[in-house]
Amino acid sequence: MASLSRRTLASAFARSFMIQGSWNYQTMLGSGFAFAMLPALRRLFAEDPEAMRDSVRRHLEHFNAHPYLSNVALGAALRLEAEGEDGDTVRRFKTAVRGPLGGLGDALVWAAWLPAVSLAGLSLLWLGAPGWVAVLAFLVIYNAGHIGLRAWGFHAGLQEGSAVGQRLSRASLGNLTARVRAVSAALLGLLVGAVLAGRGGLGAAGPSWGVVAILAFLGGLVIGPRLWRPTAVVLVAAVAFLATWGLMT
Amino acid sequence: MSIVLYRVDERLVHGQVVLGWGSQLLPHRYLVVDDDLAASEWEQDLYRLGTADAELVFATVDAARLVLPEWRADAARSILLTRDIASMLRLARGGLLRGEKVNLGGIHHGPGRLQVLTYLHLTEDDVSGLRALEEEGVEVSARDLPDAHKVPLRTLLP
Repeated sequence: MASLSRRTLASAFARSFMIQGSWNYQTMLGSGFAFAMLPALRRLFAEDPEAMRDSVRRHLEHFNAHPYLSNVALGAALRLEAEGEDGDTVRRFKTAVRGPLGGLGDALVWAAWLPAVSLAGLSLLWLGAPGWVAVLAFLVIYNAGHIGLRAWGFHAGLQEGSAVGQRLSRASLGNLTARVRAVSAALLGLLVGAVLAGRGGLGAAGPSWGVVAILAFLGGLVIGPRLWRPTAVVLVAAVAFLATWGLMT
Repeated sequence: MSIVLYRVDERLVHGQVVLGWGSQLLPHRYLVVDDDLAASEWEQDLYRLGTADAELVFATVDAARLVLPEWRADAARSILLTRDIASMLRLARGGLLRGEKVNLGGIHHGPGRLQVLTYLHLTEDDVSGLRALEEEGVEVSARDLPDAHKVPLRTLLP
């Protein structure tokens, strides 16, 4: 990897934030991926314009994955190109890696990290923090995870090249996803509790609604594990109704 | 019963297959029939990342033709995938898939490929391959996800 300077790698990393910048149905992240590779390819193929053209074409092809975890593929592709791997291997690597990177990233970021940090922000608001503090906390925490994941992925890809599959499997992102979701569930519970106990909640709604809420909660405990989705919807709807009703009266 | 879906999808095992089709068909395993992949361990490692619960089996087309009766008789439910139409056709040769249904999932844009559906881009060889599949007694249709509209081959090709 002697041929790629820190400066070039930093440039590729910075450009990776634009990977969705020209998203389209034909190549999806393809042009963004090539854009991020470009400074490195210019160095690597400085003497050979034809190889440079082939390589840029190769990276312009269809690519799709989670935008943050795409950096695993980006780092690994940089390493493969720097080591002079043939185009077909690079292409096959990107084809194989995009599916898992998409699946792992969607589950970890969109379905776990984003709702968890949103709930944390809402909890702050309910604890009485001013709105701007809740928003700022959300942005700082969310992006710490976001940029951390991009940096980790880029580094892992650069280090492992096409063998990055084993590193990803050791990192067990699936377990991490499950842990983040457990934290979300706990936060949701706390938030529901805060809403119920807070101003405009049960106190304002009166004792009969309190009984309804407690029954809904107990019902949720019994059938929740089997039917968690419909139960959660009913529970959230009940809480929202009680809170609105309490605020209006 | 035991091969519940035959699918051509460039991306092989990925979200649409595992979450979209897998959550409805509940396969025990995915059979990936691909000559290159069968010989490449690092690529197999990558594809294994995408299927946590199901077994992933890799085979060359020739090997698959030999084990196909076994896969079909097996109690385990499988989804069989090939990367391209040519591999599915080689598997089907000699009436091996007669009476079966083949699903066209995703073949993306590339040089020399004409868009037929948003997720289907075919070369001329692909088109003649599809007609040959039909001549082998296979019912071909396109559908990216189980809830999507099913497009039969007749409407697909001019």
